[in-house]
Amino acid sequence: MDRENWIIAYICQYSRFFVLSIILGTLTILLGTGLMFTSGYLISKAATRPESILMVYVPIVGVRTFGIGRAVFSYVEKLSGHSLVLKILSQMRIRLYKVAEPQAFLHRSRFRTGEMLGLLASDIEHLLDFYLKTFLPSVVSIFVYAGLIIWMGWFSIPFAIIGAMMIGLLLFVGPLFSLLYMKARNERLKRLKNGLYDKLTDTVMGISDWIFSGKYFLFTEEYQKQEQESYKLERQKLAFTNGRDVLNQFVLGGMVILTVAWAGKLTAEGRIAPVLIAALGLSLLTVLESFLPIAGGVSELPAYQDSLRRLEAIEREKPPEKEVGTEKPSAQQQSISIEMERLSFGYSPGEQLLNEITLSINQGEKVAILGRSGSGKSTLLHLILGSLSPSSGEVKISGLHPCRIESIANWVGVLNQKPYLFNTTVINNIRLGKPDATIEEVQEVGRMVDLDEIIANLPNGYETLMEETGQRFSGGERQRIALARILLQDTPIVILDEPTVGLDPLTEKRLLATMLKTLSGKTILWVTHHLAGVEKMDKVLFLERGTITMQGSHHNLLETEERYRRLYKLDRPFS
Amino acid sequence: MDKALFKVKGIRAVLAKLAALTVIQASMIMTQAFYLAAAISSLFGGDSFHRTARELAIFFLALTIRQGAAVWKKHIAFHFAAYASETLHAALLEKLFRLGPRFVKKEGSGQTVTLVIEGITKYRHYLELSLVKLLNMALIPMAIMIFILSLNARSAVILTLALPLLVIFMILLGLAAKTKADRQYESYHLLSNHFVDSLRGLETLKYLGLAKSHVNKIAYVSEQYRKATLASLKIAFLSSFALDFFTMLSIATVAVFLGLDLINGDMYLHPALTILILAPEFFVPIRELGSDYHATLDGRNAGKKIMELLERETFQELDTLVPVWDSSTNFTIKGLSVQYDDYATALEDIELNVTGAKTIGIIGASGAGKSTLIDVLSGFLKQESGNIQINQQRVETLAAKSWQRQLSYIPQHPYIFHDTVLNNIRFYHPDAQANEVYEAARYAGLLDVIESLPEGLATMIGDGGRHLSGGQEQRIALARSFLGKRSIIMLDEPTAHLDIETELELKEKMLDFFKGKLVFLATHRLHWMRDMDEIIVLEHGRIVESGDHEQLLANKSVYYQLVKAQEGEV
Repeated sequence: MDRENWIIAYICQYSRFFVLSIILGTLTILLGTGLMFTSGYLISKAATRPESILMVYVPIVGVRTFGIGRAVFSYVEKLSGHSLVLKILSQMRIRLYKVAEPQAFLHRSRFRTGEMLGLLASDIEHLLDFYLKTFLPSVVSIFVYAGLIIWMGWFSIPFAIIGAMMIGLLLFVGPLFSLLYMKARNERLKRLKNGLYDKLTDTVMGISDWIFSGKYFLFTEEYQKQEQESYKLERQKLAFTNGRDVLNQFVLGGMVILTVAWAGKLTAEGRIAPVLIAALGLSLLTVLESFLPIAGGVSELPAYQDSLRRLEAIEREKPPEKEVGTEKPSAQQQSISIEMERLSFGYSPGEQLLNEITLSINQGEKVAILGRSGSGKSTLLHLILGSLSPSSGEVKISGLHPCRIESIANWVGVLNQKPYLFNTTVINNIRLGKPDATIEEVQEVGRMVDLDEIIANLPNGYETLMEETGQRFSGGERQRIALARILLQDTPIVILDEPTVGLDPLTEKRLLATMLKTLSGKTILWVTHHLAGVEKMDKVLFLERGTITMQGSHHNLLETEERYRRLYKLDRPFS
Repeated sequence: MDKALFKVKGIRAVLAKLAALTVIQASMIMTQAFYLAAAISSLFGGDSFHRTARELAIFFLALTIRQGAAVWKKHIAFHFAAYASETLHAALLEKLFRLGPRFVKKEGSGQTVTLVIEGITKYRHYLELSLVKLLNMALIPMAIMIFILSLNARSAVILTLALPLLVIFMILLGLAAKTKADRQYESYHLLSNHFVDSLRGLETLKYLGLAKSHVNKIAYVSEQYRKATLASLKIAFLSSFALDFFTMLSIATVAVFLGLDLINGDMYLHPALTILILAPEFFVPIRELGSDYHATLDGRNAGKKIMELLERETFQELDTLVPVWDSSTNFTIKGLSVQYDDYATALEDIELNVTGAKTIGIIGASGAGKSTLIDVLSGFLKQESGNIQINQQRVETLAAKSWQRQLSYIPQHPYIFHDTVLNNIRFYHPDAQANEVYEAARYAGLLDVIESLPEGLATMIGDGGRHLSGGQEQRIALARSFLGKRSIIMLDEPTAHLDIETELELKEKMLDFFKGKLVFLATHRLHWMRDMDEIIVLEHGRIVESGDHEQLLANKSVYYQLVKAQEGEV
């Protein structure tokens, strides 16, 4: 993938709009210059005391036209620039989404988590600043510069050369030096700042331990020392920009003197009218001032590179296109089975996350899966969902490989620990399970998960925005909304991936009861961390390092396994 | 402008210095314009370039001094802002440690860190920029105005009239933009966050089988967003249009009237040209005021938030010497109450009396006040009233360092610092020897884990380091406590989130660890209760029952109900 692709591709795609913005930008500067030129001309001309006011009528009109024109063009220029950039934003978002989408299940991808993706979303917005604050103004300046030099050369080649060199200091040398000087410092500053961030976050998260240790003054001292260092860098940066600004002003002043001198000389030679001296001096001042902000914009370049790098990284990690499954299980919705035959999985031959699991689950069976973290529970689930492919052995849903099934979401539903509730209305969130569900259907599932009363009490009922309700919905209620979604999705198999972690025992119990009641008849694979509710399961199985170490019905295990009895005692200590 | 600005220490001296420099700057702006005009008009009059050398030299010198003054002003403002923010930083950190974990939990650790780092940076930039801008605005236009008045009254009047007109239009348009923005806020907010929201919920979309088709929705919403944004920008940019329009129009008007005066012979070229050069300078400060508008607003808000935080009440940490706890120490609490606030469930009339080693279970429904009680005992929360005594000696507050140094705290999710396993275990005792740490790790059952790590005890863990499971984190906390050898242990729901096998193993370790110590353990998990010497049952912030498991069960009251509810079938 081309390195600059995130930038260049859009310039090519929208080249016409870019040209338009550049023309508008150039015109804005030219009109401002024209205003000062005609003003200077006007009063000089007037100073020659012409016979009648009609003699200066044209410059008078010119002054007003340029004055108003500049304001109008500057307004239109800003709008067209932003409109362009917003078009690019849409394109970039679609592109980022398409890259991120296949990685959602890719366990090894760094871009799986919402936080990381949120960061990329702001990277895109940051890149837009590149167009607005660096790219467009620079190109406009270069055009104005070129025009100016050609125009000077029209009168005098040596003057044009001197002018090209001096203004070149403003436009090329200054920005280049800024870039070089700022780059290293900005990077160090950023490192320091990130360091401070990490350090402070670490401390704030572990604040109780710091308080108990009674030595937090140590942290404050250390922290301030690092801060001093970043101040030092900022002071250096300030000194540099100050120096650059002063030098720029010298160039500006020098250029004005030079122009006035040159115009004086031309007048003396009789090549131009004396009334043009003021016009040239004043208008040059205006043009040159428009070049001053370029250096600041250019020294921001490394910051854009960071954003660019992250966006490119996610494109590199994009997994190869998987073939889209096309098959459909031929069995009836009501009799979907899951068969695993010596199913193994590992990212590399050395690490076996699942080891020869053989298991068969019939439609309507309820299976609880227990195991420590890292025992292979979630690997097993992802194999069933087809987002991972077995290293050996196989898993089949009614005889088909999950990754070959047309839309696995029609067959397997998932309720996980933290189902995401989107920032839209309650009804839209529930409807995600079945986009064409009628309001009656939504209300029906709302009733089934015992949310009807709570939702009825919201300010706008089902139409209430999630954000407003975010505070109001407790952990258990959020799970119920997600459950309603699953009910609408109406799949023969439902995976419950620790949906009750973090809930207090009574809430957990009620939620379990609701889940079991509403999901009856469906195959349930329930990953759980303890044994509350396992009595209701047909089968309980324990995974350890990728193999099944205990399995059987609850009563069976209670009778035969001493270990199981001890574990069960933790959940039901007094019965 | 912001009144709070004038409360910052040392600001008067800084303002005086800046004002003096601004006056110099303003006079140089005028000198510069005056001599440039002089040079041009003398050339215009037919003088040779050499005769204008003096004027041009003065022009250049004035330019230099003007820039020098501007740079010096920036320098002063930078140092003042840096000094002010450094002072704030120290105060803010100190405050944070006083406010403690409850505050952090409520505000969110991310928010807190952002406020300390970004908030202060923003406030600093605000100070730095606004001081200079404030003085420029106050002094430069006025100085130029007076000067122009001395040259040509009409021009001065035109510019003076333009200024308030311009300000009024900017305010009107700003208000119009704001009303429009407010009206559309909700839908606008939804549109602008839709993309991030989609990315965050990508996994869920995927589970629902909607991920692929969702791209159409993103395209649609982005287009809506573009339209909505452009519509509001059209109005928002009008205020800078007004600024431009009036600036340009008044310069043009000044130029035209100057031309008329010149034709009539009421005026010479030199003053007219001076006015023309000065006219744009007249508007520069107000343009600067308008730029960085958002940065200024952000900085001001950040400053407000920081001040609010600093003014927040914290209880004074008194260095009362709390006696060192031993097996005969008596710890009594009488009539302790905690008022309800944002952070805590209220507690009322808490009574407690323990002597020596004892394990005390704290139980109750969600929101009954278990965590609040643990936090009061840990000194994170101030009691409203009540009497705390240790060995009959009254203790004002448990926030005393000498009390907290005797405590060890194991929450549900113990924090793992971004550091090595070694340093994490010896956090309370940074000078502990490696063999002592090893012993603690062995005790907590961490040896297997440590052996599996690439660099053993020296492996980095915590955020960005090697990931540990919940059980392993809890073992680190246990090892930390073991090494700390502190005699009072506070636990807040230490095992509820662990898988049951790990929970069983850790429970056995912990029960052994509790021996000879004073232990307070708040939990929902009933299995701990049989191992507690005493159980405190909380309901709505009050102790409704206490005793050991058998007694409480025999009471057939709140505890009995709680057990029954949890033990019942699903």
